[in-house]
Amino acid sequence: MKRSKIKYLEAALCCAAVSMAVGGCGNASDDGKIQIEIVQYKPEAANYFSTVEEEFNATHDDIHLKISSPNDAMTILRTRFIREDYPDIIGIGGDINYSYFVEAEILADVSDYEGLQNINQAYLDIDEALELVPTDGIYAVPYVANAAGVLYNKDMFEEHGWEIPQNWGELIALCDEIKAEGILPFYFGFKDTWTCLAPWNSMAVDLSPADTTKQVNRGQTTFSKEYWEISEKYLKLLDYGPSDPFAYGYNDACTAFARGESAMYPIGSYAAPQILSVNPDLNLDSFVMPACDDHDGNTLNSGIDLQFCVTAECKNKEAVYEVLDFLYAEENLQKYIDAQTAIPCKEGNFQLPSILDGMTDYILEGNMKDYQDHYYPSEMAVDAQIQTFLLNKDVDAFLSKFDTDWQRYNRDIIRLVQDYEKEHGTAN
Amino acid sequence: MKNDRERTFLLITIPILALFVCFNTIPLIRGVIYSFTNFKGFGSYDWIGFRNYIDLFTDARVGKSYLFTFKLAVVSTVVVNVLSLVLALGLNSRIRAKSFFRGAYFLPNILGALVVGYIFNYFFTYIIPAVADMIGIEALKSSILSNPSAAWIGVMVVCAWQAIAMNTIIYISGLQTVPEDVYEAGGLDGATGWKQFKYLTFPLIIPFFSINMVLCVKNFLMVFDQIMALTKGGPAQSTESISYLIYNNGMSGGQFGFQSANAVVFFIVIVAVSVAQMRFSGKKEEQL
Amino acid sequence: MKDVMDKKVNTPAMILLILGLSTIIFPLYLTVVIAFKQPSEMTNSISGILSLPKVWSLNNFREAMRITNFWHSLRNSLLITLLTVGLSIAVHSLMGYALGRNKAHSKFYSFVYLFIVSGMFVPFAILMMPIAKQTAELGLANWFGVVVLYVVFYMPMNVLLYSGYLVNIPIALEEAAKVDGASTWRTYWKILFPIMRPMHATVAVLTALAVWNDVMTPLIVMGGSEQNTLPLAQLNFQSQFGTNYNLAFASYLLSLIPILIFYIVCQKQILNGVVNGAVK
Repeated sequence: MKRSKIKYLEAALCCAAVSMAVGGCGNASDDGKIQIEIVQYKPEAANYFSTVEEEFNATHDDIHLKISSPNDAMTILRTRFIREDYPDIIGIGGDINYSYFVEAEILADVSDYEGLQNINQAYLDIDEALELVPTDGIYAVPYVANAAGVLYNKDMFEEHGWEIPQNWGELIALCDEIKAEGILPFYFGFKDTWTCLAPWNSMAVDLSPADTTKQVNRGQTTFSKEYWEISEKYLKLLDYGPSDPFAYGYNDACTAFARGESAMYPIGSYAAPQILSVNPDLNLDSFVMPACDDHDGNTLNSGIDLQFCVTAECKNKEAVYEVLDFLYAEENLQKYIDAQTAIPCKEGNFQLPSILDGMTDYILEGNMKDYQDHYYPSEMAVDAQIQTFLLNKDVDAFLSKFDTDWQRYNRDIIRLVQDYEKEHGTAN
Repeated sequence: MKNDRERTFLLITIPILALFVCFNTIPLIRGVIYSFTNFKGFGSYDWIGFRNYIDLFTDARVGKSYLFTFKLAVVSTVVVNVLSLVLALGLNSRIRAKSFFRGAYFLPNILGALVVGYIFNYFFTYIIPAVADMIGIEALKSSILSNPSAAWIGVMVVCAWQAIAMNTIIYISGLQTVPEDVYEAGGLDGATGWKQFKYLTFPLIIPFFSINMVLCVKNFLMVFDQIMALTKGGPAQSTESISYLIYNNGMSGGQFGFQSANAVVFFIVIVAVSVAQMRFSGKKEEQL
Repeated sequence: MKDVMDKKVNTPAMILLILGLSTIIFPLYLTVVIAFKQPSEMTNSISGILSLPKVWSLNNFREAMRITNFWHSLRNSLLITLLTVGLSIAVHSLMGYALGRNKAHSKFYSFVYLFIVSGMFVPFAILMMPIAKQTAELGLANWFGVVVLYVVFYMPMNVLLYSGYLVNIPIALEEAAKVDGASTWRTYWKILFPIMRPMHATVAVLTALAVWNDVMTPLIVMGGSEQNTLPLAQLNFQSQFGTNYNLAFASYLLSLIPILIFYIVCQKQILNGVVNGAVK
């Protein structure tokens, strides 16, 4: 009896010792192959990437590719950076983290990569714009983009004879009409604060300059001025959503919309897989958020969802470019597009997912602007500030806080920009 | 012989202390160093002296998170300790299916945060409003999680629901140290029920009561998982706990240096609170 | 144990416990039902969520096991948890003993005690980056490093518990052994260690529980390697744009079983009330 505890302990220690001896972490065998490692941040695409990894390794004798798609990749990347254990390629989004990584000189210049010639210039421009201060190099190869606007229930629209609205007036008229028929026009999942950004972004591209944040950093304008109209219009949308939109999360909203509880859902193309998992038979399509009073002023809200960057520490650039060539091969990219309802950043004859039908014209014309929130530092929690604003409905308070908080959270960036301009003169 | 005893104690203490210093104190010191920089978590950084600390005391968001966290911690600690003491007494009394009950009441603590978050979200968003609608309670007809002034109650309920199991276990193990003959002697003096608890049982488990108070206050002040699972700081930033800010803005955002400063101050605050608590309960123990 | 039969069952306590059980049965029911459903059966209506799944099939569980690489992750989780618990009981009880017996009369031990206990209040976020760096520098960016960190992280709580428990164990027991000529070290293992069994079980449960569910430490220490623990593998079910709750719930139910068994085994130890016998 007395000894039993000690015995457990001994047993545990023995187990550990044995498995330490037997199951030690296996390093890949030294067979002279070049090891290339990719860490990419979209775990939902893990299946796609493991297929790519297998196919690549089956067809290449000299390079061994390893792709990991961990959840919380940003934490993993950051801890690996601090350990100075850099993967060769990182797959990240075109957002402020990318800006930081460029600034921190973690990424390598890839302007000598030939595949860049086939990349859609609009997305290369977006990456260029994301750099905090202009640089000479190119630090990312865009892979796929997503787009945000309004998803709608096509069958419901056809049944009632509703038309796709072309401008703000038509959108409001449509909402009134839908409401009059006893149907909820929009569903919102504002309990998850990040969803507050979806309508925000897709209206911002129509109503404020693409480089609003940069203009503010240079002291040329204020958010109170640029975001006034968006804020007013956003409040208007609330009238057409559920009575307590802050009670429902993203998942609730996807489920409700999939079950036909609302006619439209203002969110991005990325929501399609979740919506279709609830109701695979839903006839889903999308249109560009018509926030402008004039149809011609409308723009598609599209940004880089996944791009590949080579780290500065990487020693085998040729091998890396070979891997990139494989990833950007049309049949592989098409597979990704089909699985994730994405928009390719490469030019070519790709079959776009049908839920993007309503946005295709804009994509083909290249009439699109990046998400404004890609320029917001995440710690400023603009999403939560928008949620607060939608609860309080006080435009003045919201925007003046936006302006003061912006100065506070971007102090280092603003100084960087000002230093740069002192040196180079105002760039425009 | 005295030497043997002292030498043994030293031989035990020194290596374990060294291990502790190596993996707790040294990383902490490194972290404190970051709090004097504008480190983003990667890349280069500059020394900025006390700027982070000065910012901290003028940051309304940090101030708000302190208020929320302390409110949550105080209320949850009281609720959890009362309920888990009652539960421990119940589980320790003569009941049938003891093992079953003990196992069942332990479950909330092992359900993953994703599950707990989903179920309680559902509960607050759909079930409570529907029930309130049926019996006509106006105040509960909309989800409390969407109401900035009431959402903390939702967080409190979930924190308590999960924490009770752990505190109950500690109380149960405390109740084991109460010798059976104390009750027998007490029974002869006519001490039963509430009197027996107040004059016999409770004084004997005071050390466990103070451990539980300290652990509870600490756990609730450092609340993070439940916030992530339930509200992610919303609505209107009303449920941002201090740990949530530190993690979210420091690790996920680019404020690593600033949030390190926040963490340093927070550490000092919790130590102060806990020392005060231990002093207080230490005095109580002596009195009894 | 016999006298339990003699005295009658405490009915009010039974009623209270059964009532309280509803707060556990209901969420558990939801978890089980959701774990068996398909994503297409998920709705926002109450009758929908409470209804039983259309088909009772173990497919979700099979799929969840495949995604998490269940047996492999389970092995890692078990290894880390058992080793941490074993080391915690040995190391922390010793430390609790050394500090608990001396902190009242020695300034040094009282300082060490406060120093270690205050380690409990260090926000983990501030340690994350330095720890990621330090474990890598020491070649501990693996499961063993995770165990070492756990032994350090849970030391404050366990030392607090052990030294609290020792207050109720009379020092006379040790003195009696000393008279017989046993060394302090021997006395500890022969007499005190077995006496503290209820506390060992408590510590085992609390430590095991904390370790079993922890994501952060393995994420920053061995994140990105092929080695996963169960909670790390379970992260695969959720991403920002979509969460498969059905598979996730199935997986959480699976990972709940080992720790529940561990608890049930341990809680019998908590109850044996060794102290009572020893004091007499």
